Amino acid sequence: MTGRRAARALLTGVLLLTLLATGCGVRPSGVITGRSATTGPAVGVGLYLLSHGRPALVIRETKGITVSPEQTLGLLAAGPGESERSQGLVSEVPAGLVPASPVTWTADGSGLTVTMTGPVLPLSTGAADQIICTAALAVAVTGGGDSFAPVTIAGPDGARPPRPCPIK
Amino acid sequence: MTPWRWAGGRASGLRVRLLLAFALLGVTTTAVVASGSYFQARKVILQQAQDAAVASLTDQLTKVYPLRRIPPSQEDLDTLAQRLSDREGFAVVLYRDMRAQGAQVPEPLTPELRQAVGDGVLAWQRVSRDGEPVLLIGTQLEIDRPDGTPMPSGLEVYTVRSLASEQQSVDRLATLAWLTGGLSLVLAVLLALLAARGVLRPVRELGRAARRLGEGDLTTRLAVRGVDELADVARTFNDTAGTLERQVGELRRMEADARRFVADVSHELRTPLAAMTAVTDVLDEEADRLPGDAGRAARLVSQETQNLTQLVNDLIEVSRFDSGTARLALDDVDVAAAVTATLRVRGWADRVRAQLPSGVLARLDPRRLDVIVANLVGNAFRHGAEPVSVRLRAEPDWITIEVRDHGPGLDPEVLPHVFDRFYKADTARTRSEGSGLGLAIAWENARLHQHAGEPGSLIAGNDPSGGAVFTLRLPRVATDTAVAADAGGVR
Repeated sequence: MTGRRAARALLTGVLLLTLLATGCGVRPSGVITGRSATTGPAVGVGLYLLSHGRPALVIRETKGITVSPEQTLGLLAAGPGESERSQGLVSEVPAGLVPASPVTWTADGSGLTVTMTGPVLPLSTGAADQIICTAALAVAVTGGGDSFAPVTIAGPDGARPPRPCPIK
Repeated sequence: MTPWRWAGGRASGLRVRLLLAFALLGVTTTAVVASGSYFQARKVILQQAQDAAVASLTDQLTKVYPLRRIPPSQEDLDTLAQRLSDREGFAVVLYRDMRAQGAQVPEPLTPELRQAVGDGVLAWQRVSRDGEPVLLIGTQLEIDRPDGTPMPSGLEVYTVRSLASEQQSVDRLATLAWLTGGLSLVLAVLLALLAARGVLRPVRELGRAARRLGEGDLTTRLAVRGVDELADVARTFNDTAGTLERQVGELRRMEADARRFVADVSHELRTPLAAMTAVTDVLDEEADRLPGDAGRAARLVSQETQNLTQLVNDLIEVSRFDSGTARLALDDVDVAAAVTATLRVRGWADRVRAQLPSGVLARLDPRRLDVIVANLVGNAFRHGAEPVSVRLRAEPDWITIEVRDHGPGLDPEVLPHVFDRFYKADTARTRSEGSGLGLAIAWENARLHQHAGEPGSLIAGNDPSGGAVFTLRLPRVATDTAVAADAGGVR
């Protein structure tokens, strides 16, 4: 009886010690998350190319020259540069498709309208998103406003339904 | 097992139990406290290290802005990685399929960390790289939109920082905790031994006192210390011993009174009996000349007076044994001659088969030997059947005299009581020829002879072939019981 009790006590002690011994040292942990990612300003003109079919932000140096939204959209029509292409960035916006008039606010002020020189209805979704995101960002940089405002792309063949930039 | 060993075993059992309980208590308490503080301290150390590393990284990253070119060239990434690497760790910068690394070692980035960073938060994780703990911190570089909301640039920065120094601190803590545990165990054992001694000493004293009391020392008392349960036990023990001593003393006093009374009565009866014996002797001589009933009456009175005288003499003898005043009158005796004389004097010489080897000399009390032998042989004639034999055997230190009859033997129920005083084997026979004290006196006489602390003995038994056998064993060189005791007292 006493022996059994002693054995039980011993077992408990050994278990406790084992538990303590295995808990020692610096153990690997799971992922610990903190505040949101680091942010900061960027200098240059921002436009969106496509990476694997999704719009991706590209910033090009401007060497201090201010670039208007229309000029930015013009850069988009010029296609990706050498280094950008090497990163797998492409553009689906057809060459020569540039704004026919300045980017304007819609009548009710809730969105932007970009009027293009060429047909807009045959544009792919990727190309439309490139134009929408780039135009919204460019307007926001120059005149303030909302980068997620819905953008209507219009052309000689009509207008696409208004849509905000899908990239958060 | 001896009582001492028994007590020792019990005491060590209690000690072991106390020891175990204390050790367990000490170790458990220390383990809980030490491990609690160890885990807390470890948490604080790691948290501080991580927080410092994260703060340092974010501080360095603010100097990276403003971003000038996205996608960056490989050169840009390399420059950034070099800027973020220092001697505490190195940086890994990723952009889509491009990567730059501040050190030429495999980076241990985990998929779950990359997932968390991809979700747009600052995240860190401790992992083990080749058994060495490292801290991984990762974040995206995001760009402020004009309206304040951030947008992802696609750049991810990770730093890999060794936690070896923290590991060392934690290990030192662990060593300290183990040391504390060991010390507390030693302390617990010491305390347990101390406590066990405090508890066990009174218990041992109690056991010793109880044993002394059991051995007959009724004056045994315990010192009562303190007011705890053990003191209560000691007090109860003392009360019990006191009561016992009083009652035993009372009984002894009453017994002594009774014995003294018997001795006094016997003595007082001796004088009138002497006178009566003188008168009855005369009557006895005249009895034949007295007519009829008067003669018979005279003979009866004479006979009963003789019996009474014998009884009184036996009582006086017994009371001498009881009061311890019986003394041996030692003399060098030829045992065969002494026994032969005993038989001859009583007229039994022809009726007894005696095997008495001559030349057996012994130093004993001849009168008492005569009393014993006469008693045994007389009994054999009275209660047994002839032939009666007496056999003497000599050993180096002892002589044995065996008296044997050929009667029915002793009843097994009677056997244990043969030497009791006034014991009547046949209850129907209320009056026997003897006083009823003969065998008791013979037994006492045998015991009075002592040799080297061993008393003589008289044993009654039955021969397998029928008949009672009384075996008397006496030392060849006897010493007086009382004298031996006195000598011991003087020494």
